[in-house]
Amino acid sequence: MSRRKWMAVVSLAGLFLGAYLTLYHYGFIGTLACNVSSCEKVQTSRWSMFLGLPVATWGAGFYVLMLVLTVAGLQPRYESSRTLSLVLLMMSGWGLLFTAWLNYLEAFVIHAWCEWCLGSATLVLVLFVLSFLDWRAVESSGNVEELTAD
Amino acid sequence: MANKRVETGRGRKPGVVKSSKSSTSNRAFFLLIGSIAILGIGALTYLSTRPSGAAAAASPIDTTLPKIESQGYVIGNASAPLEVTEFGDFECPQCGRFASISEPDVRSRLVNTGTIRFRFIDYPLPMHANTWNASRAAACAAEQDKFWEMHDAIFANQDRWNGEATHNPDKVLKQIGAQIGLKTDAFNQCIDTKKTQAKVQAHYEIATKRQVNATPTFVIGDKQIAAYMPYDEFKKLVDDALAKQGTPVASPADTTKAPANDTKKSVPLKKGQ
Repeated sequence: MSRRKWMAVVSLAGLFLGAYLTLYHYGFIGTLACNVSSCEKVQTSRWSMFLGLPVATWGAGFYVLMLVLTVAGLQPRYESSRTLSLVLLMMSGWGLLFTAWLNYLEAFVIHAWCEWCLGSATLVLVLFVLSFLDWRAVESSGNVEELTAD
Repeated sequence: MANKRVETGRGRKPGVVKSSKSSTSNRAFFLLIGSIAILGIGALTYLSTRPSGAAAAASPIDTTLPKIESQGYVIGNASAPLEVTEFGDFECPQCGRFASISEPDVRSRLVNTGTIRFRFIDYPLPMHANTWNASRAAACAAEQDKFWEMHDAIFANQDRWNGEATHNPDKVLKQIGAQIGLKTDAFNQCIDTKKTQAKVQAHYEIATKRQVNATPTFVIGDKQIAAYMPYDEFKKLVDDALAKQGTPVASPADTTKAPANDTKKSVPLKKGQ
């Protein structure tokens, strides 16, 4: 399977993770309380909201966008689009930074780890690595093409 | 150049797309995507439709524990057949949600009708920066027999004094105290001297002794529920507890829609002993 296909698979998995945490945040799944341990503590902390929406919802949105872009990137038209691979790289890079910030908060401010958030962090890291490899491949093949084309 | 483009196929670069012709790769991809989609949708549907209400989260209480008595703050009739206890944290968003959404109904339909007596015990969680200040302030208000007014105002204004809003919560809490009509000199002095610290500490210890580890935690009959509850779930647990102890369940008339906030002033106030 190509890198972009793997990216689509990872994005879809991330989308469900974000959807789960969003539903949890709004109390559709399980019960909500302010807890002194682990996931509940993270999920009910004040950092679980970002610009008026749960962080999990932003995450789900991010994965939807990544999924749409990677599936588009599977179409022959965009298979070697340098812009698309750059957008994917920048998006996953941004996602990685945001996740790193959240992990920093978990470690040093909230002092609790939410295993679902760590799962998402892993997915984002995988997405970033894949999109970096994809970008490098597209870039190098693009250069070859340009040389031969001119 | 144009020819070359036609020959190579628009945008197709052999170095990048190694597997576009490989149908097994496509099949694997669609299989993987499909199974993740089915699994994900199935799991989410299952999780969101299974009975996840408060009743499901209720755990039985060790009945050998001594009864909770003479602690915290009580509202309602001393002769009510059932007492419900809430372990709450003033800075906890879910406690605030309960106080503003469910509690008005609890007061008007269960407390004021004499069905239950409601006890609030502070359990200031360590992760909330300003919650001790709020608990102390509420205890100060209790000295002027206005605990419940302060309780409601503190929760209603959570976003003005919580750890995210300010590093000086006492200032805001003093304003809130003045707004609800407390004698400001006595109240402000009570806050400044942390006079009620020991009382809050005592409440905190009751909660830790009972191994409460989340807020809000409700004790209803022989059940303990650590979760936010809408009124209907709360009422159901109260009915169950009443039925279990042989008290007739409140008549259906109690469940008619009552205006949420109209009874606050008429509620008999009792200070915790």
